[in-house]
Amino acid sequence: MVLQALEREGVELIFGYPGGANLPIYQRLPNHPKLKHILVRHEQGAAHMADGYARACGKPGVVFATSGPGALNLVTGLCTAYMDSVPMIAITGQVNSTQVGRDAFQESDVIGATSSVTKHSYLVTKIDQLPRVIHEAFHIATTGRPGPVLIDICKDVQQAEAESVPHERLEIPGYKLNGHVDLDRAKEAAIALATAERPVVLAGHGVLLSHAEEALRELAERAAVPVGTTLLGIGAFPVNHPLSLHMTGFMGTGWNLKAVQNADVLMMVGMRVDDRVTAKLADFAPQVRTFIHIDIDGSEMGKNVRPQIELVADAKQAINAILPHLPEPEKGRGTWLAQIDAWREEHPLRYTHSNGHLQPQDVLIDMYKRCRNEAIVVADVGQNQIWAALWWNYDRPGLFLNSGGSGTMGFALPAAIGAKFARPELPVWCVAGEGGFVMTAQELSVAVEHQLDVKIVLLNNFSLGMVRQFQDDFYGGVRSQVDLTHMPDFVKLAEAYGLPARRVEKFSEIAPAMDAAERIKGPFLIDFRIDPEANVYPIVPLGKSLNDFWEAPESNA
Amino acid sequence: MPDRIRVLSVLVEDGPNTLSKVSGVIRRRGFHVRSISVGPSQEPGRSRLTLQVDHGHAEADQVRKQLERLVEVVEVEDLTGHEVHSRELVVAKVSASEVPSLVERGARVLDSGPSGTTVEFAGEGKDVGDFVDELLRHGIVDVARSGPVVMRRTA
Ligand SMILES: Cc1ncc(C[n+]2csc(CCOP(=O)(O)OP(=O)(O)O)c2C)c(N)n1
Repeated sequence: MVLQALEREGVELIFGYPGGANLPIYQRLPNHPKLKHILVRHEQGAAHMADGYARACGKPGVVFATSGPGALNLVTGLCTAYMDSVPMIAITGQVNSTQVGRDAFQESDVIGATSSVTKHSYLVTKIDQLPRVIHEAFHIATTGRPGPVLIDICKDVQQAEAESVPHERLEIPGYKLNGHVDLDRAKEAAIALATAERPVVLAGHGVLLSHAEEALRELAERAAVPVGTTLLGIGAFPVNHPLSLHMTGFMGTGWNLKAVQNADVLMMVGMRVDDRVTAKLADFAPQVRTFIHIDIDGSEMGKNVRPQIELVADAKQAINAILPHLPEPEKGRGTWLAQIDAWREEHPLRYTHSNGHLQPQDVLIDMYKRCRNEAIVVADVGQNQIWAALWWNYDRPGLFLNSGGSGTMGFALPAAIGAKFARPELPVWCVAGEGGFVMTAQELSVAVEHQLDVKIVLLNNFSLGMVRQFQDDFYGGVRSQVDLTHMPDFVKLAEAYGLPARRVEKFSEIAPAMDAAERIKGPFLIDFRIDPEANVYPIVPLGKSLNDFWEAPESNA
Repeated sequence: MPDRIRVLSVLVEDGPNTLSKVSGVIRRRGFHVRSISVGPSQEPGRSRLTLQVDHGHAEADQVRKQLERLVEVVEVEDLTGHEVHSRELVVAKVSASEVPSLVERGARVLDSGPSGTTVEFAGEGKDVGDFVDELLRHGIVDVARSGPVVMRRTA
């Protein structure tokens, strides 16, 4: 019954792991050849694969896990998806309905444990609830502000025989997130933008989720407004566009931060405006007269920054409501754009090409030259993530995937595998630090088993780099528990899993290794041993305002 | 009442998880429940919660907005600052066997005997507070107090 319902929802792929409490579902799986099931090596891997799949193709990712430890292993993955508004359906086995609450073998309160990291959840104790619940779950996961929905199904329900009747009606009176639209002030927003002296637009993940990138570009060009993106908004606006401010936030580009801090009107589209974007909240964008906030989730209005103009709608709908009202921009706009160009000159992204070590930027620049924008990059968390965000010129949505809100180390490899299943035609590159990589490295087996063309770029700096940098820069240089010299030989590790690999220590070895990676079909790993002292810049010291960003030392190369 | 307290009337779908979802959101967002009362609404399968919530450092409106996000929550009305009827109930046992001054204030005697008297009193929060102060003079043995139940005044 579960599987039939999934087929009706258009599911083709499931990432999962069996166990006592979901055996009845697995028993019937072979009768459903249209449902392809990927056996993962750890349930967290399943959740990240489903997440990467959903981010890459927009369809909800589906996960199976058994009760107790199986379901609890999903929690990090659910949280990662929840924080970044990724649609996902997690179907967990639960003990028999008559045993619930008795601390039965492998029983845990999965609903309780996941409530705060799911958009909604269901405990199914009777078979007749199942068709409605599954249909509702897909609706809730994919509409409005998307998110993960968990369905905990008691084992006796999985076993019960019942005719599977499609459930078409949707009556969820409490589900309001999808309905509430407020665009009354679209005209005011248009006028505020056009008449501003120093306007800035920041674009978040919501722009990608609602496919608003074209509308955003039209708005930016017509109003002559520069556009920056959040880490999760990367791809919402082409980095090479003359109006691009690239990434914002506490590791954003200098010219972006200058623009934000000097703006008089700031429009924030499809974003939560969290602390990584604002840095010290009291000093965020201090010259702004009019904050315009667009979000599909009304609870985002004023959660962190109180906007003067609120538009509650999906980003595309909101921008399309603004466009018809947009007057000719102010004549003085040229001065503002020239100022931004000057900041771009003054505070470029820079690094020192060689100080005897391989630099991470060397690797990413080579990668970008090969792929241009014809590849998906999935980054892990830490320095590698920020380098991968800044040193590519993403020009489209869906090319850069990462765990922004939750910052989950171990995300990249399984998410890259999921992305490859979703977009088999595109090359997929996984960029990770060695610390995060080993957190989910067991999923290499999945890449090998399915001969997935996923190229793994390890930026190996022998430490928990981002934490090491924070300790060096902001905690008095006390290096505490960040040393990772004792790690496996990654080339041998890869070979043990059955995929080819190379080690690269010198600049001149980058290109041949990349050539090999591209030439060989199937997964490939390159262990880039980079400068252990390489840091991420710009960076805003913790607790400081965006104005106080530190920059990389001037390059001599 | 401090300004940070919001009074909300929340219509919810009955379900095994509803109350824990509601309290979970309140806790997670850093709000604090000052009082809560729950009872069936006039619609079958739905209950009405009356909540007094301290919204802490968040914007006042966040309590309502965060509750509205829950699928279990059908409707939230923020009654803070509106003209409302607000009623609380207190049931108390005192050691005195005669309580004329309490009866004068509007208390109802539920039972009495050699060991004391049980009384009930309903009213606005402030009146209930005053009533409890008055009880002190009669030797309180035990007090049970409800949270407020609130409804807008007839227009
Ligand atoms: C699961 C998890 N644990 C801890 C952290 C905190 N954290 C953030 S970045 C980082 C260091 C990551 O090191 P590595 O994976 O080697 O990447 P690098 O920063 O060196 O590129 C840590 C420990 C986290 N984000 N996620």
